[in-house]
Amino acid sequence: MNQHTVKSYGDELNQLTAIVARMGGLAEAQVADAIESVARRDVALARAVVERDARLDALHADIEKKAIRLIALRQPVASDLRKTLSAMKLAVDLERTGDLARNISKRALILAEGEPMLPLTRSIERMGKLVSNRLRDVLDAYTASDVDRAMGVWTSDDEVDEHYNSLFRELLTYMMGDPRTITACTHLLFMAKNLERIGDHATNIAETIHYEITGGDMIGERPRWTPTPSDSDVMAADDPLRPQES
Amino acid sequence: MPDVQTSSPVVPSPGSRLWTAGASGGLAVLILLALAVYDPAHAAPLIGGALLVAVTTWLVANQRPVMPEGNEDSDGGTRDETRPAGQIALLEEVFETVSDPLLVVRGGEPDDMAGRRVVLANRAARDLLRIPREGAILVSVLRDPTLLEAVDEALFGGVSRETNFDSGGVQARHWRAMTRPLPASATETLALVRLRDETDVRRMELMRVDFLANASHELRTPLASLSGFIETLKGHAREDSVARDRFLDIMAAQAERMSRLVADLLSLSRIELNEHVPPSGHLDLGRATTDVVDALSVLTQQQGVEIAVAAPDDAVRIRGERDEIVQVIQNLIDNAIKYSPRDGRIEVDIRTGLSPAEAAASRMTGAARLPLLTPDRGEDLTYAAVTVRDHGPGMSREHLPRLTERFYRVEGQKSGERPGTGLGLAIVKHIVNRHRGGLVVESIPGEGAAFTAFFPLSNRTAVTEPLTV
Repeated sequence: MNQHTVKSYGDELNQLTAIVARMGGLAEAQVADAIESVARRDVALARAVVERDARLDALHADIEKKAIRLIALRQPVASDLRKTLSAMKLAVDLERTGDLARNISKRALILAEGEPMLPLTRSIERMGKLVSNRLRDVLDAYTASDVDRAMGVWTSDDEVDEHYNSLFRELLTYMMGDPRTITACTHLLFMAKNLERIGDHATNIAETIHYEITGGDMIGERPRWTPTPSDSDVMAADDPLRPQES
Repeated sequence: MPDVQTSSPVVPSPGSRLWTAGASGGLAVLILLALAVYDPAHAAPLIGGALLVAVTTWLVANQRPVMPEGNEDSDGGTRDETRPAGQIALLEEVFETVSDPLLVVRGGEPDDMAGRRVVLANRAARDLLRIPREGAILVSVLRDPTLLEAVDEALFGGVSRETNFDSGGVQARHWRAMTRPLPASATETLALVRLRDETDVRRMELMRVDFLANASHELRTPLASLSGFIETLKGHAREDSVARDRFLDIMAAQAERMSRLVADLLSLSRIELNEHVPPSGHLDLGRATTDVVDALSVLTQQQGVEIAVAAPDDAVRIRGERDEIVQVIQNLIDNAIKYSPRDGRIEVDIRTGLSPAEAAASRMTGAARLPLLTPDRGEDLTYAAVTVRDHGPGMSREHLPRLTERFYRVEGQKSGERPGTGLGLAIVKHIVNRHRGGLVVESIPGEGAAFTAFFPLSNRTAVTEPLTV
């Protein structure tokens, strides 16, 4: 590690990273609890997730304030500047992640009033586990400053998309089979969409980590699956809803 | 420090309170007694006073063993003087070998999150949290907000607490975390974090719930059909011998399916229960594969299917439980046989010395490919992979994510006369996960499918891995 002549400057940078890690932990827990609240129909937990979101917002504001202060007073350059800017970018992604988790919990509150839909909530749970694992991986990469690990998350985003598409079909089948489930299924569909968005934020975070450590952009196209003609009949139904790359 | 070691532990150090209290108390008693002798008229109150002073001195002196204990834990200097070096080494060894992860955390300023650092961590904690070095920033190794809050309360509020903590990863584990404040010194506050593994208990609970849900749901259908046939046999089919024989055959098949289902569910539960326990045995992947192929030879002859095994000449030693690995290979080949056409060909391929990326790499060109299980990163392991490739109907892309789901069936596909329980791939996935391996599926509709399972190679020679694991 490079030593800073002014000790408190290094302290300030460390502190910024620490708050981002803390915020990451909170966002992680929000996502995990939101999924749990859906899977276990836990109304109290869902309410807790909705309430705790304010703390993520507060941390986001805090990071922004500290980063701006650091830029104004210390004029960081090179890796310090990248660190500061990444902290701000990560805070935005994590704050959005928290919002999406809160939205999942709000929908869980509505679902809890109706009949249990076990196989479907299981599918949501499975997709949720996948997304939480990615979020955990990418945050581990951040705290360990591990580019390879971040790249691993970045290159495997299509797994989430596959799960999303599969879940989409499953929900369609349910809705066609029994129109009374349309309300619940629509909520589940939005949950799946939210999870898919959280996965995208994890990818963004991976890109930011790559930038912070190497200073360069991600090179090359992310490995993605593009529909072949033989798949077109399958994809025609969900084409308008295909996750758009941000 | 030889002089410290030779001096008797009974003799107090010159600066100790015992010395000053004892000396001054004794002096006061002597003076009072001398006064009593000099002036016998006031002897009674003077002797009483001398007694009082003596008792007080004795009390102060006896407090000594209790008082400095707080200093001893937080202040290394005191410990060095009062404990022989051998004892410290012993204590350190005990701290290291405790199987529960233990962490000592230093406080710093309450509003400075980077100030909270890990001062001490025993081996279990270092392994669990992958702490790179002593003095790591707490929040960079432990992100769980509830646990961090509990640590804060211990550090700055002096409150002990218990919370739950889940360490993520593919083999998720559940911990009970206990936080308690340690005696503080003037310059820093310390807290102890102790984790206790409760994975077994939690898994047990989950298993019971899952087993009941699955068993009751999946056994209902064959049970309903059984009772339907019984009803018919008791009623108008009683005298019809042709129908009776046919019904009894169907009932036997249903009963057999039910017992297979229960067996599979039980084995799945058992594997899930042990999923976080690393396997202890070692085996040769090539031998295990040929054993399975031999055992299935009757079935392959019945179906007219040919199995071609391609394995390296040397033994491929992996770390794993033999029975479980055999079950993985058997389930994969079993599936391949089920979906193979008559006179079909199944290729079983064993490769070794692969990185995780190489092991999971595509084996079929132009196929839809999806990793069903990816091992946790972080360890530099080499893998051996077994690929089972069939030339059956294959599956289209949208089915792949759900293949390891319990009871999931690809619609519109008949798996022959011997329908499975729908648990085969779920069992495969859980076994592979227990072995810290990975699982990948590839498929082209109409051309077949390939399943690749890969396992870490056995590394008996590695220095970092204790042989007892």
